[in-house]
Amino acid sequence: MKLAIVNNCVPFVAGGAEHLAEALTQKLREYGHEAVLIRIPFRWDPPTKIIESMLACRFLRLPNVDRVVALKFPAYLVPHSDQMLWLLHQFRQAYDLWGTPFQGLPDTPEGRRVRDVVLEADNRYLRQARKIYTNSQVTSDRLRHFNGIDSEVLLPPLADNSRFFCDGYGDYVVYLGRITASKRQQLAVEAMKYVTTEVRLVIAGQHETSADLAQIESLIKQHRLAHRVQLIPRFISEEEKITLLSKALACAYFPYDEDSYGYVTLEAYYSRKPVITCRDSGGICTMVKDQVTGLVVPPDPRSVAAAIDRLYLDRTAARRMGEAGLELLRSLQISWDRVIEAFTR
Amino acid sequence: MKIILATTGVPFVQGGASLMADWLGQTLRARGHHVELLEFPFDSRWEDLLAQMLAFRLIDVSQQGDILVAIRPPSYLLKHPNKVIWFIHHLRSAYDLWGTRYQDLPSSPEGLRLREAILRADNLAFAEARKIYCNSHVMAERLAAFNGVQAEVLYPPLFQPERFRGGEAGDYLLYVSRLTHHKRQWLAVEALRYTQTPVRLVLAGKPDPGGESYLQELRSLIERYRLSNRVVLMDRWIPEEDKIMLLAECLAVVYLPFNEDSYGYASLEACHAGKAILTTADAGGACELVLHGVNGIVLAPDPEALGAAMDRLYLDRAMAQRMGEAGRQRIAQLGISWDQVVEKLLS
Repeated sequence: MKLAIVNNCVPFVAGGAEHLAEALTQKLREYGHEAVLIRIPFRWDPPTKIIESMLACRFLRLPNVDRVVALKFPAYLVPHSDQMLWLLHQFRQAYDLWGTPFQGLPDTPEGRRVRDVVLEADNRYLRQARKIYTNSQVTSDRLRHFNGIDSEVLLPPLADNSRFFCDGYGDYVVYLGRITASKRQQLAVEAMKYVTTEVRLVIAGQHETSADLAQIESLIKQHRLAHRVQLIPRFISEEEKITLLSKALACAYFPYDEDSYGYVTLEAYYSRKPVITCRDSGGICTMVKDQVTGLVVPPDPRSVAAAIDRLYLDRTAARRMGEAGLELLRSLQISWDRVIEAFTR
Repeated sequence: MKIILATTGVPFVQGGASLMADWLGQTLRARGHHVELLEFPFDSRWEDLLAQMLAFRLIDVSQQGDILVAIRPPSYLLKHPNKVIWFIHHLRSAYDLWGTRYQDLPSSPEGLRLREAILRADNLAFAEARKIYCNSHVMAERLAAFNGVQAEVLYPPLFQPERFRGGEAGDYLLYVSRLTHHKRQWLAVEALRYTQTPVRLVLAGKPDPGGESYLQELRSLIERYRLSNRVVLMDRWIPEEDKIMLLAECLAVVYLPFNEDSYGYASLEACHAGKAILTTADAGGACELVLHGVNGIVLAPDPEALGAAMDRLYLDRAMAQRMGEAGRQRIAQLGISWDQVVEKLLS
């Protein structure tokens, strides 16, 4: 079967969605299908650009392709007679982020008009898909809630989980991911003011803007935490990541209301590490069972600090939770076999 | 530098443009540049042309990258403050193929309007570009004639050409190309019919999607002339390693397309492998690379004459070899190299 994976892109920027799109394309090939990844640049600022991007997608054609698997808005607007979705998220600024500080779209007649167009296009074109899978229950629930459209959850596996391993439970908690406000690395830094043990924090990832980086740096300086917080402000290789995780005490991840459970959760569990997250972090809460595979706490520095201290003082609990995380992954049957079967059925 | 490379293609069809973009991307990355390669899908059915052209005006990459290098149409309709076009061909139906049997736009008023729209869109995109390079003199002339544009010729090199090696000349002529009518594999078969020697012909390449009828046409031609024992038809994509071997051991290379935009990678590969090239005077770009009697033979598209040339190559191996050697010098003479490409595109 000839499959086209269609995704958005911002030139020179790559994150979880881009990696998933690449992994899916690669795996389809490994399973004997022909697959091509098509990336369509998306610009959303100023808001009229959103409508232009949507139109561009409607105007594109996909010849010589048996099936399309689209991952994001507005890439799923590219017409094709046999389209499936693996929806990672809708255009959240028009949905769940509307009315929050992360709204993005201006609350003006123009902003509202753009929002209406997005909603109408989704309502019309998403229904034409043969089948919609989503990456998490949160995404499915939103799609049901906002658009009345049913979907099925298909959890995305890691590109390659075989390389992760556990090399004990060290003295640091690791926070991986892009450094940006909505990932809330600052909450982790502030928590380090309140810990009572000798625990350390390692933050590693590429910063989204230099302002994001400056904010974290000044926070560390302001609270005199340089001896406790190590900042690795760059893209880290798969090797480095695997090593950092293998020796960590636990993994911390506090994004604000993310759709997916975050690859980092999977990576932590494959490394047999517990995950500390926050109640308002979104999809990740479906993957972290409080007290069982990690700790789910309110999004305030003192609560986070208490959770970190607890794992530092009770390594047996850290190990037990990390191992339970690995068990959880096994029971959920997160595998490429299932994903490929779903998209080539 | 941050470089956006844009081109178009039919998914799963390996064309010259996608190779060119891919190789340019790898070359630039190896030299420390950040490259974002965007290969957009494109359907050349005339009913869908305008909508897709509009899509390229609406997609906005103008905020990203220090430079946009656009290759295959209509990717050069993308806007960018620093746009460089490495032009390889027009939407040919609206240009040089208009009025030929290969024209697929209708000649109706609607078709005429579409042709006009394509010309105007192209002229707009060319006016926006900081610089236009093209892949051959054929293209430079067409751009001048149809669009009034001055383009500089910048020949596309092969990727890691040192992979192509020479070898003992065998008894077969090799024609590697997509199996499609205007590549005129049928002419090679017709020519073979007139040969007096036992020279053989290997036709290797993938048929175009939906190109079964052409493939059938070739098969029945081979049958009709009772050439089955002298023609090998490899109707599939040939892996690089196999191609390199086929080339190394061939007697010479045949390349007979009708009025192509550029010399075609097949003929450039022949030069790197030190093989003579048999082509026709109406082949287009190939005639820029092949000098008659120097690194190959250039004839009218006449089966009988071509057949005689095939015999000559078979009987006079020393001549075939001498011409093959001259091909390597021809590459140097034309300055076909990545150093040249990178310097020009980024200057």
